[in-house]
Amino acid sequence: MSQSTRTGSSAVLSAPWRLAIMRKLAGVRPEAWRQALWVAAAYYLGAKVGFAFTFQPHPISTLWLPNSLLLAALLLAPLSSWWLLLAAALPAHLLAELQSGVPLTMVLGWFASNSAEALIGAVCIRRFCAAPLRFNSFRDVGVFLLFGAFLAPLLSSFLDAALVTAIGWGQGAYWQLVRLRFLSNMLAALIVVPFIMTWAEGGFAALRSASPRRAAEAVLLFLCLLAVVFAIFDRHQAGSTAFHALLNAPLPFLLWAAVRFGPRGTSTAVVLLVALAVWGATQGDGPFVGSSVEENARSVQFFLIAMVVPVLLLAAALEERRKDVIAQQRAEIEAKEQRQQLTHLTRVALLGQLSGALAHELNQPLTAILSNAQAAQHFLAADKIDPDELREILADIVAEDQRAGEVIRRLRALFKKGETQFQLLDPNDMVREALDLAHGDMVTRNIEISTDLSPRLPAVTADRVQMQQVLLNLLINASEAMSANTPDERRLLVSTQALASGGVQVSVADRGLGIPEERQARLFEPFFTTKPQGLGLGLSISRAIVTAHGGRLWCTNNPFRGATFHVALPQQPGGPV
Amino acid sequence: MSAAAGTVFLVDDDPGVLRALTRLLRASGRDVRAFASQQEFLGQHDPAAPGCLVLDVAMPERNGLDLQQDLADSGAERAVVFITGQGDVATSVRAMKAGAVDFLIKPFSDKQLLAAVQAAIDRDALMRRTRAQRREVERKLATLTLRERQVIEHVVAGQLNKHIAADLGTVEKTIKVHRGRIMQKMGAASLVELIRMADLAGIRPAPGAPGD
Repeated sequence: MSQSTRTGSSAVLSAPWRLAIMRKLAGVRPEAWRQALWVAAAYYLGAKVGFAFTFQPHPISTLWLPNSLLLAALLLAPLSSWWLLLAAALPAHLLAELQSGVPLTMVLGWFASNSAEALIGAVCIRRFCAAPLRFNSFRDVGVFLLFGAFLAPLLSSFLDAALVTAIGWGQGAYWQLVRLRFLSNMLAALIVVPFIMTWAEGGFAALRSASPRRAAEAVLLFLCLLAVVFAIFDRHQAGSTAFHALLNAPLPFLLWAAVRFGPRGTSTAVVLLVALAVWGATQGDGPFVGSSVEENARSVQFFLIAMVVPVLLLAAALEERRKDVIAQQRAEIEAKEQRQQLTHLTRVALLGQLSGALAHELNQPLTAILSNAQAAQHFLAADKIDPDELREILADIVAEDQRAGEVIRRLRALFKKGETQFQLLDPNDMVREALDLAHGDMVTRNIEISTDLSPRLPAVTADRVQMQQVLLNLLINASEAMSANTPDERRLLVSTQALASGGVQVSVADRGLGIPEERQARLFEPFFTTKPQGLGLGLSISRAIVTAHGGRLWCTNNPFRGATFHVALPQQPGGPV
Repeated sequence: MSAAAGTVFLVDDDPGVLRALTRLLRASGRDVRAFASQQEFLGQHDPAAPGCLVLDVAMPERNGLDLQQDLADSGAERAVVFITGQGDVATSVRAMKAGAVDFLIKPFSDKQLLAAVQAAIDRDALMRRTRAQRREVERKLATLTLRERQVIEHVVAGQLNKHIAADLGTVEKTIKVHRGRIMQKMGAASLVELIRMADLAGIRPAPGAPGD
């Protein structure tokens, strides 16, 4: 690197600055050239519009757009191509101004004050807003209003007015010029910068992807706004004072834009309003009819600034709120998905625990089927065919096959990953299904199960699979709690009862060691486990499931020995327990 | 089908499996008695009837291994074939150590079951023969006098007559007479046969006597 720099610097000696510029230009990216061309074109057109809104003898336009266009361009471009954009604006400035017969010194002076305004705004906004301005937060809009719409026009107006009075172009005292330029540039900044910034980033993509209904709403909004603004600001009002009450008529439409179409829609509506209102005022139409065209324009500027600033802030605040709500909804959805995954995962783990017993459940019918079929083969081989016997064998095979199918069906339901599906369930059926699933495991562990199921229970609205998961979990826990007991002390009682509130309570009582008071609360915490192989998720997930059903899961110690876990469920997930 | 005949006592709490296995065993010519629970089996069990037990390991009220143990303890030992829907190593090792003939994991083929049943019935017949022989030897042993009983313990230990005489404080000639009467009462044709009988009856060599 040092080598090339040295050879380069020796060549620079002949024409240093020219070569420096050449090299600088050679390093400009094609994209930056394109931006520069856009800026030149926009600046030229902006200046032409500005002149159309300029009324002699005052040299200050009532709507001077180029400075704000330049500010928006600087905010959109990287810092490294600012010089290029400013350089691109100069020929456009010269072209537009010289055509209008302005002396060269004044033209150059104005370029200085215009660039200064854009630079002050851009530097300050960059300093206080890390991300590009989107007008979608209160802070964004606040920073823009303070620096882009207030400070930059104000400071540059001092310079501008000083230059104008020094050169002696047009009429007007220093402070009057400051006031006029400040107001009109502030209004320009308020309409131009939000409009460009909100549309530059994804604006056209949003337009393309808009639904027909939304597009129709937007068209309706802008037609209404157009009609109202035109009716108020662009018709000759002949000094009617009653008409002043209608000045705020555009406000509902601006609010409509802010509420429904965010900062982008609001900034667009503002452009429409300001352009038509200022134009009307300069034509001597509208409510602000004063002694001169100039005065009309100034009055309408005041009025528009006062209307636009709060609307922009409102749109940003609403957008901010909407983003918060979306973020919150997304977090909720994520949490829900995680909970579901965890529920499924623990259910799979639970089934893993039961797998040996489930193999048993399947092996029983398979054994019966095989032995029946082979018995039939033996009968056939021995030519001892008894049709009745054969019929029985086949009937048994069919029944056993259905039994195996039922085991598989229940298993598949438990393995399935799915959304929570609430349905009306008979609590006793729920218990019986869980007991069926756990049957093999209980037999292997020598657990004797007795049930005390209340005959008349109301149906509850619950997710069948999740409830089975909870009950299976309680059954397995209970049987594991009794693993140290002698076989005749391994007894488990499952009972159901109706609650006074209309809900139902299912209890699983074991004869284990019980649970010490200090552990009862921790038992339901995630990753708390007393088992060497336990994940410690079973009870915490079970409680989460029951809570999601609007119910409660808790445990008590039995008076004699062991513990009882209770699940109380409301009839409806939102109902009383 | 085989020389040794016998009933197959089938105990399984699953009615479907019980029916199917009963059919299969009958179809292959076995005499089968099916029981849905251990209680039912124990209530009707005739230890004298030859045959084997086909027993489900996992049953709600009691483990199959416990039944096997109980039968052995009460002297009604029977050759057992265990069947299980859930084969875990620990249980099968325990069953085989306790003398099970086989340990079949459900679902099993007819060949596996019939072979195991055959082996169990053969084992049962052998056990019965051995038991009968032991009872016969015990009956004969009961006819021996106290002195003859002392002598036989020394004989089993492989001692010469003169050493036995010295140990029991008598003369060699007397021992010779005792031995002759022992051989006669036990119906043994040779010393080897006598020793085999003593072994069957569980007679231990006299203490203090040199072995072999």
